[in-house]
Amino acid sequence: MIEFHEFLVAILRSGTPLIYAALAGVIVHRSGVWHLGLEGIMIIGACVTIIGIVLTNSFIIAILSAIIICIIVSILQWFVIEKLKANQIIVGLGITGIGIGGTAFAVESIFGSLAAISAPFGIPRIGDTFGPYSGLSVLVFIMPFAVFSLWVLLLRSRFGLRLAAAGEHPFAARSVGANPSIMRLIAFCVGGLFCALAGAELAAGSLQIFAQNMVAGRGFMGFAAVIFGGGHPVGSAFAAMFFSIVSVVGIRMQIHFGNFVSHDLLLCLPYIATVLGIWITARAKGRTNSASQISELRVQ
Amino acid sequence: MNEKIEIIIRPLAFILLATILCGIIFEIAGFSAILMFNSILDGAFLGSRSLEKSLRWALPLFITAVGVGISFRCGFFNIGAQGQFYMGSVCAVYVTEYMSGVNAVIVIPLGMIAGMTGGALWSLWPGYLKIRYGVDEVITTLMSNFIAGLILVYVTSGPLKDQSGSGQQASTKILPSELRISDASGVSLTIILITIGVGITGWLLVNRTSFGTLSSLAGRNPTMLKYQGGKIWQLGLASFIISGMLAGLSGSIELFGPSGRVVSGFLPTHGFTAILVALVASYAVIGTAFSALFFGGLFSAALFLPIFTGLPTSAIDLFNAIIALLITARITLGTNFLRNRWSHPHD
Amino acid sequence: MTEVRKDIPAISCRDVSVSFGEVSALSDISIDLPLGGIHAVVGQNGAGKTTFARVVAGIVKPDSGSLLINGKKIVLGNVASSRSTGIELVHQSFALPPSFTVAEALEYGSGGGVGFFKKGDLNNRWRRHLEALEMDIDPRHLIQDLPIELQQAVEIARALSSNANILILDEPTAVLSPSGIAGLFKRLRRLRDTGVTIVLVLHKIREIWEIADSITVLRKGKLIDGPMELGRTKPESLTPMIMGAKDFKENISRISDENSDNKVLDQKSISTLPKNKKHALEIDGVSTETTDHEVSLENMSIKVYQDEIVGLADVEGNGQVTLLRVLAGLSDISKGKIKICGQEATHLNLSKRRLLGLRIIPFDRNMEGLSLTSELWENWVASELAVTPLIRWINPMKIKERCKISMSEWDVAYNSPEQKASDLSGGNCQKLILSRELNDEAGMIVAAQPTRGLDIGATNFVWTTLENARSRGCGVLLLSSDLDELFKISDRILVMLSGSIIRELNPPYDLEKAGRAMVGESG
Repeated sequence: MIEFHEFLVAILRSGTPLIYAALAGVIVHRSGVWHLGLEGIMIIGACVTIIGIVLTNSFIIAILSAIIICIIVSILQWFVIEKLKANQIIVGLGITGIGIGGTAFAVESIFGSLAAISAPFGIPRIGDTFGPYSGLSVLVFIMPFAVFSLWVLLLRSRFGLRLAAAGEHPFAARSVGANPSIMRLIAFCVGGLFCALAGAELAAGSLQIFAQNMVAGRGFMGFAAVIFGGGHPVGSAFAAMFFSIVSVVGIRMQIHFGNFVSHDLLLCLPYIATVLGIWITARAKGRTNSASQISELRVQ
Repeated sequence: MNEKIEIIIRPLAFILLATILCGIIFEIAGFSAILMFNSILDGAFLGSRSLEKSLRWALPLFITAVGVGISFRCGFFNIGAQGQFYMGSVCAVYVTEYMSGVNAVIVIPLGMIAGMTGGALWSLWPGYLKIRYGVDEVITTLMSNFIAGLILVYVTSGPLKDQSGSGQQASTKILPSELRISDASGVSLTIILITIGVGITGWLLVNRTSFGTLSSLAGRNPTMLKYQGGKIWQLGLASFIISGMLAGLSGSIELFGPSGRVVSGFLPTHGFTAILVALVASYAVIGTAFSALFFGGLFSAALFLPIFTGLPTSAIDLFNAIIALLITARITLGTNFLRNRWSHPHD
Repeated sequence: MTEVRKDIPAISCRDVSVSFGEVSALSDISIDLPLGGIHAVVGQNGAGKTTFARVVAGIVKPDSGSLLINGKKIVLGNVASSRSTGIELVHQSFALPPSFTVAEALEYGSGGGVGFFKKGDLNNRWRRHLEALEMDIDPRHLIQDLPIELQQAVEIARALSSNANILILDEPTAVLSPSGIAGLFKRLRRLRDTGVTIVLVLHKIREIWEIADSITVLRKGKLIDGPMELGRTKPESLTPMIMGAKDFKENISRISDENSDNKVLDQKSISTLPKNKKHALEIDGVSTETTDHEVSLENMSIKVYQDEIVGLADVEGNGQVTLLRVLAGLSDISKGKIKICGQEATHLNLSKRRLLGLRIIPFDRNMEGLSLTSELWENWVASELAVTPLIRWINPMKIKERCKISMSEWDVAYNSPEQKASDLSGGNCQKLILSRELNDEAGMIVAAQPTRGLDIGATNFVWTTLENARSRGCGVLLLSSDLDELFKISDRILVMLSGSIIRELNPPYDLEKAGRAMVGESG
């Protein structure tokens, strides 16, 4: 039983940042842009949270500044894609580069070394009443509510429908008086908020540490979860959870069975699943909703 | 003619813009931007032996970027160069493993062919899914990068792990010196000749064959080509295969050349930088040579930056990323931007 | 509800001009459409009908002019402003996100704010709305699963969900089956009787007589006449107004003059036609599957001899595009046969058909004919390269030289073969296409609207070219909706309606007869 609790704790720990990243990807995805900048904005969130805690000794200030900076970077991404009409894929990769390079640069210029920074404390824990789960951060506790709220916002509100219309059929959105460009801006801002939470949870959830390139592909995995989950908030959250289960199981199996089953090859599963997922969708629909199609629509 | 000048001016303008932006960031962070750019220039191109060091990075970048350019020019957004690069090196290292003891004259070419085949196959499946089923190549090639990265980790830490390694990073055994085509400097006659060969072949393919002309038409207006009876699926598959082959070749050169072994997660930004190189060059082969030299120079300067200016290596990553952010922007002297900006208020 | 006064026009636009880049879509249009009734706005493709509808709906912002709705001036180019005065537009290709359910598609544009809802309430609310409109649609269905008639019904339901008093429908019949059209018209009449002003953008003349109370004719962005009451005009006289005979009478005399010149020759050529003459093109009983976005062909048969120009007259939207796509091998056929220059070509792809001598001048020269961002010589050589093996050695220098010679021969005004095609004017673009397609090996030319948007000089050039090709022994199939053009160069004219050939006309052509044939009337 204890084993099971440990297992669950491990999944929640590694899964929560992924789920927040996926949520950020979902809202931006539904507004018509593929969010390939998740990785970069997430690492900025992680970095600012830790630096904020170290410099101000206040978690609230740290998380707020992470949210603000992540939203600013998201707006930058929106601006370059929407107003400068740049290619969203390359811009997304560029934002990722800015995140990884920029955070490393910031750490070095503030602390003068590349070494990992550790903070004296992290995100508040949910407390002893939760028994074996007491070590989990508040953000893990909030996560299901975040998924639910985003689900309500995107699928059970007129705003969510307008946002989806802006992504799926910008002309339709425009013809009822909604501005797809503004819809995307809002989506990017909310996305920035979730990226900040994803980064904060990753860096300050259990480790309280920031190291160079510590996101290590989790942002892209979040993007894969968005695609695998079909852009649905709950579906994508489950996809992200599935990805984290695979990785936790992989580690456990390696501990128990040695090299009998390769952990690394097991980690390919999420990506293979994503490819199979969109392949099946494409076979059913005739083709996938390609990014180039979306940008074509935007030119009108 | 305007167009041709623009192809040169545009990237230079973006590089200048990125330089200014970076300069501002560095100044704010408390570094001397002037000193830094000086030392980049010095470290990349002007200093003694700096050109050679830049070439070490520029040569593989060029080979991969030529392939990326061929795929982009055909209208297929194949961003899987990183994975194809890894798969090329993995396939090549398997050849050296199974043919240990065989004469180098046989092993090295076979290894490179294996690398090219591996890269091509790794590019072929996203290409096939795209052309046969319309599965978006951006997602599949992105995923293929991660899968290849994990396969690389598996190979270097599993079947081909160098047991004697210090354990910092998993890697394969270092190749015996007779299997190497260059020392650690990565610049040798063989590699230069291969690169020149790739450049000439690529240039001929793009500028002197029906494939080059048709793929450019396909990338710009596939509808028109369909009305001419053009077979877009052939062009598409061929461009996927060629770009994969070149990325794979680049991976095998890395193995036989400067690295001498395959290290888990080596050159993690190679594919991304190659995409930038191709974009900056507007997919032209000769332009790719210059832009590869530029980015190769930056890379090599980055390694020396901390020594000379105290600036972290990451400064170069930041610089590259800012170029990536802006390079595809459709700004024409700011007029469009202004019009968009001011046309919204209603009467 | 806005206050309604009978004496004020429902829509009153003054001197409205719209241009997209250098193309003028509407120039100085002033129209007053009275309150109540069904008003048809007619014209060919590119006449500016859709632009007019979008200006009124606030989707397109005009460069100049003003717009009064029910006597009130509205903000131009603002959807919200237009909608608040009660204007709703039903788009030609429906503006409904395909993955939405019917209820969601009705809901998303129905108001601002965040607007949380419960799924059940949402479905019930919109089910009641649909029932009130006597539409039998389940609000839980996905838009993409609905047949096209019901998608349109949903659009209309959406448009009527706010208190719309002016409903504009852009080409509502284009995608409907005959029974769908009947249903739509029934619905529209009922709406008119409840006091809604309806503006219909149409191009099928027969439908206008079935439904409209008034007609407004646009051509090339200009107002030709209207709104005219339906009683004041006849279908036959409308055709020339729409199709470009600038002055009806003058035109008839001109055409009969020209025919009198050609008549002898024409008669002669017909009488001397040897019985064993070869066909350049045989289309035999070709049908296509019905799809959402294309008019299907029904048992279509066309034969073109090796030295004649056959005109295919067609008010747009009757299957021209489908026919061209079938000939280009881009649309599948469900039955029938195609022969090119005597060779079986039903199952050949386009490059094989090209080798048999088929040449296609597509409708849209900027999208289908040329790659505007590519260089001239690349465009010019595309057809030659497309039929060769994938990787073949070429010498661009020589190609450029050949291209230069060819372009000079065809009188293309250019600076350098390395120019972008987008630098050329429309006429020169078309000449470039001709120079590419009409080399000596051409045996059968299918020309779709080859003179659309060209000036007189370029138009004459194209006509002469096609006539020269004929005298070289080439078959020509001319797809056009311009009667002047058809009368001028066709040896005979086939009239196409709803995907079938319904009539063959021979010279001397009679404008009235052609006009009646094209609206589907016999006699």
